[in-house]
Amino acid sequence: MIEIDGLEKRYGSVHAVQGVSFRAEDGKVTGLLGPNGAGKTTTLRMLSSLVQPDAGRALVDGIDVQRQPQQALRRLGMLPDSRGLYPRLTAREHLAYFGGLQGLPGEEIEQRARELAQLLDMTELLDRRVAGFSQGERTKVAIARALVHGPPNIVLDEATNGLDVMSTRAMRTVIRKLADSGCCVLFSSHVMQEVSALCDRIVIFARGKVVSDATPAELRARTGEDNLENAFVNIIGSDAGLE
Amino acid sequence: MIRLVLLKELVDHWRDLRSVAGSLVLVVLGPLLLFGMFQIVQNLEKERPLEVPVVGAEQAPHLIQHLVANGVHVLPPPADPEARVRKGDADMVLVIDDHYAERYKASQLAHVRLIVDDSRNESHKNVRRVERILLGYTQGLGALRLMARGVSPQVAAPLALEELDLATPQKLAANLLSMVPLFLMLAALVGGMNLAIDSTAGERERGSLEPLLLNPVSRRSLVVGKWLATALASTVVALLTLVGMMLTIQQLPLERLGMKIALGPREAGLIVAALLPLTLFGAAVQMLIATFARSFKEAQTYLGLLNLVPMVPSMFLMMGSTQNEWWMYPLPTLAQVTVVVSVLRGDLVPGWQLLVIALSSLLYSALCVAAIERLLRRERIIFGR
Repeated sequence: MIEIDGLEKRYGSVHAVQGVSFRAEDGKVTGLLGPNGAGKTTTLRMLSSLVQPDAGRALVDGIDVQRQPQQALRRLGMLPDSRGLYPRLTAREHLAYFGGLQGLPGEEIEQRARELAQLLDMTELLDRRVAGFSQGERTKVAIARALVHGPPNIVLDEATNGLDVMSTRAMRTVIRKLADSGCCVLFSSHVMQEVSALCDRIVIFARGKVVSDATPAELRARTGEDNLENAFVNIIGSDAGLE
Repeated sequence: MIRLVLLKELVDHWRDLRSVAGSLVLVVLGPLLLFGMFQIVQNLEKERPLEVPVVGAEQAPHLIQHLVANGVHVLPPPADPEARVRKGDADMVLVIDDHYAERYKASQLAHVRLIVDDSRNESHKNVRRVERILLGYTQGLGALRLMARGVSPQVAAPLALEELDLATPQKLAANLLSMVPLFLMLAALVGGMNLAIDSTAGERERGSLEPLLLNPVSRRSLVVGKWLATALASTVVALLTLVGMMLTIQQLPLERLGMKIALGPREAGLIVAALLPLTLFGAAVQMLIATFARSFKEAQTYLGLLNLVPMVPSMFLMMGSTQNEWWMYPLPTLAQVTVVVSVLRGDLVPGWQLLVIALSSLLYSALCVAAIERLLRRERIIFGR
């Protein structure tokens, strides 16, 4: 379970994140939706311990990320905004490196590599160097790398960015599977279709604040809009930055 | 964890064939350059034969004797002396005056003329030699004449001029030896440069730094692993260069230049002991600078400039200071030049000097590693804003 509790972050005169609180439950897919620049990525960076919040805290399974970052990171698998790979290493070597850094023994990494390759449909990619991979193939490697230690909490920042239709559909299936197996999945996107198709709960960001936190059904009921797209626009106040 | 990071960086670097090959260029270039410069010095040593055609040699048998005794090859007179010199067929022609013999006997001023072409640089050295020989002859003869008349020759020679020529081939060759430490240090810096950049500025630029930092591993383990990988790459390149230098020096005809250079296993061991701390420290500085740089290219620019630093102490030493002072040892690069040159000269290198070098470099490295660790907590460094 991921709990965000009153996070604040300022950059000079820009109040990037203004008292953000929400919670992502185990076994559910929680969507973070909002236009670009609404504070989603900064919030996730505070969750991953790389950015110090000015106030508030982020908890992973009850562990304070700022106080015990290493314990929290063991229980967190994150696909961050930047997902660069090492062009001269194979996909399998990426998993071996990150699995090792997570403290997994060699046989377990091998086992996980097989499972993840199956899950993400990338078995034939495993032993190729990533230099020539397509955008979709790279994203798969990056996700496998984030999940190599089998974390109970999974954070995907714009996971479907740059993927084609088939890959996007496959990715949705994977996310659903992960949630069904009991993981807490937090999924950020600026694509409404995706969030509405996938999420059990939707947290909407606008201008550094959470403006709505509800299930899709509640959202429809509250705004009186039958169509989720209209509901979003209604809440955010404009459709700038959404797709 | 440190070992894991170290291995990954080395594998990654090893597969970067282009940068590995690039750093190996220096391994070949250093010894080649040393060899080439030695050839030039050797050519300086090979002097032009001192051949002097003499007109009217029969007039001055005593003078000719003196010339021959001083290594001059006296040649028969040419048909047109001035034309020969002008064309460069002869460095000079000595013309002895027709009245030389009688004037010489009468202790009068006897005339000789040296025909030279002052615009020919290559003949300068020989002309000066002959002039000096002639001067020596006239001074010696004058002194004898004064003594024959009961006068001390010192009365007529108020000044005793002695010239000490420093541009001897031996001196030049000794200076060339300070190229050895320079190349070793350059190899050490260049050898790890790409790895230092790739694992810091490169890691951020390709967007793999953020995922890397999301692992439950301390910043210190990551930095130390990357640092050791860089230092190891530097060390390998420096050692290969050292082997190349050793093979080259063994091929050089140093004895002919009157030099004795000791470069056996013991000397090589001492050089490595002085060099290793520099590879560690150099790697740490390179990583610190590359972490701070905003991009891969910027890091390359900075580290390219850093590679010039080892030239400073070499220049310093070439300029003449040969005194080894205690404060040189905690100064990386200057310390290495001092030790390597001492070793090559066959001087003793006390253990305390090596200890000071090792401890000071380790201290500086630790400071750099700590600084990189701190930098990797800054958002500006992690996300490259």
